[in-house]
Amino acid sequence: MAALSSSFSDTNKTFSLGRTALVIYAGLFYAFLYVPILLLVYLSFNDSQTIGLPFKQFTLRWYSQIFNSQDMLAAIANSVVLGILSAVIATALAVLLALGFRYDLPMKGLLMKIVLMPILIPGVVGGVIYLIFFGYGEVQFGLWTTVLPVHITWVLPFAFLTLLPRMHGLDRTLEEAAADLGARPMTVFRRILFPIIKPGVIATMMFSFTLSFDEFIRTLFAMGSQRTVPVHLWSLLSNQMAPFLPAVGVVIMIISMSVSLIGFALTARSGRSVPVDDH
Amino acid sequence: MTRTKLRGLLLVLPATLWLLVFSVAPVALLVAMSFWTSSIFGTTADFTLDNYKVILDDPIYFKVLFQTLRIAATVTVVSLIVSYPMAFFLATRSNRTKALFLVLVFLPFWSSYVVRTFVWLPMLGRTGLVNTVLINVGLINSPLDWLIYNEGTTHIGLVYVYTLFMTLPIYLSLDKLDPSLIEASADLGAGPWRTFRRVVLPLSVPGILSGCVMVFLLACGAYVTPQLLGGTSGIMFGNVIAPQYTVTNNWALGSALSVVLVLVVLLCLIVFGRKVRLNDVFTGG
Repeated sequence: MAALSSSFSDTNKTFSLGRTALVIYAGLFYAFLYVPILLLVYLSFNDSQTIGLPFKQFTLRWYSQIFNSQDMLAAIANSVVLGILSAVIATALAVLLALGFRYDLPMKGLLMKIVLMPILIPGVVGGVIYLIFFGYGEVQFGLWTTVLPVHITWVLPFAFLTLLPRMHGLDRTLEEAAADLGARPMTVFRRILFPIIKPGVIATMMFSFTLSFDEFIRTLFAMGSQRTVPVHLWSLLSNQMAPFLPAVGVVIMIISMSVSLIGFALTARSGRSVPVDDH
Repeated sequence: MTRTKLRGLLLVLPATLWLLVFSVAPVALLVAMSFWTSSIFGTTADFTLDNYKVILDDPIYFKVLFQTLRIAATVTVVSLIVSYPMAFFLATRSNRTKALFLVLVFLPFWSSYVVRTFVWLPMLGRTGLVNTVLINVGLINSPLDWLIYNEGTTHIGLVYVYTLFMTLPIYLSLDKLDPSLIEASADLGAGPWRTFRRVVLPLSVPGILSGCVMVFLLACGAYVTPQLLGGTSGIMFGNVIAPQYTVTNNWALGSALSVVLVLVVLLCLIVFGRKVRLNDVFTGG
């Protein structure tokens, strides 16, 4: 039986010595991840003018304050619409790209490097290139003129990398048979391809949404007067340590965590793991 | 050209054009602009090597660049040490509980890194959790001010923000590992430690390399974490580049600094990561 075991987890026995130590370590690791976050949640209910302990009294006023703040609501609306548009456009481009990658293409290696470029460029540089690019091209800085293309470019490689393994196993002969039988390209896509790749595409869009929703450094350099949520938080952080900041952090976390969780559940069902968000 | 080949080219065309315009062109402009001249009247396309001369002449740039590489390297090593046992823990869970433990690791990383950096202010500040606990336990009488706004805080913040990029690839390579190899090793009389060192560790090297490249790359481009947590001593190269655009308006010098950072980071990856093929890092081999 042992020889038939199919998972690494079955080999626990071999390492039984360190098993308890490993569980304790994992507990510490989770504590490292979660203590700061739980502290933030706790402090978001603290009725105190300074961010910190001790906990004075329970209050919801920081939450009511941010949900009554025009700036905050505008930033949330901007980020949500931007996230949806970036996710849809980047995923569409990535689907075509991943489908194309099943063919023998000239200079495929070079193309791959171009695709990975937005990830490979260090964060700050990834921001300033857009400041000079749009600045030099005299493009009006704004949510839809500059930030949207920047987000699409940023999300595209991640969407592509998420889709590529799913597309790779996709049999090209299916579409070719349909085409030979006289189906037009759009019909082939709608009737044959899309039903197969749909779960992956939806998961990719959710993942892309959170990437866009959380993006900060590129947005900071590419934006005009309209802010996104992370930029709004940053300007609040830079100006003053306002007591409602923990609540802002919690709201941002809840939005992106819940979208990611749904995306994860969808991907888990379609049998692949999700790559993680970068920054 | 065959019909299938044409179909492939047509499919990759939209994304390729998009990336040529919005990724390749901006980088090309950055490189070009690093040889241009900035003055109070703006940046003009007059060729000069002055920007690079300024960088070579002023030791502050070298100092910060070296500090950036040192911080990024330390953060990479610390992340590796912190992440490896965790990846091992995740890979050895039963299939039933694995998804839960994985989601618990992912969850914090599914929110903006501005927030994930910010959480360390109430942790380490004067009225933060660490100081409060230490005072209540009686170890200290007044809050420790050196807990925050220094190089050490930059390290903690960066490890916290980026360690998943180490945990995940190592977990993936451990998870792929064929368990019969471990049994074979045990059957042949190797103890657990020896099996780990001779079988498990070598087979997880691809994951380790992927993780190291990712974390190093991300840490080199950091801006938010050192700005928010690093005080004056914990700044990194990103905090030197950004003000050239936002404060002094010296786009040409900023571009030269950016080019230097990109080149040095790539050079480090080539020198230390010769065994890593970049495409594999991102596509999981």
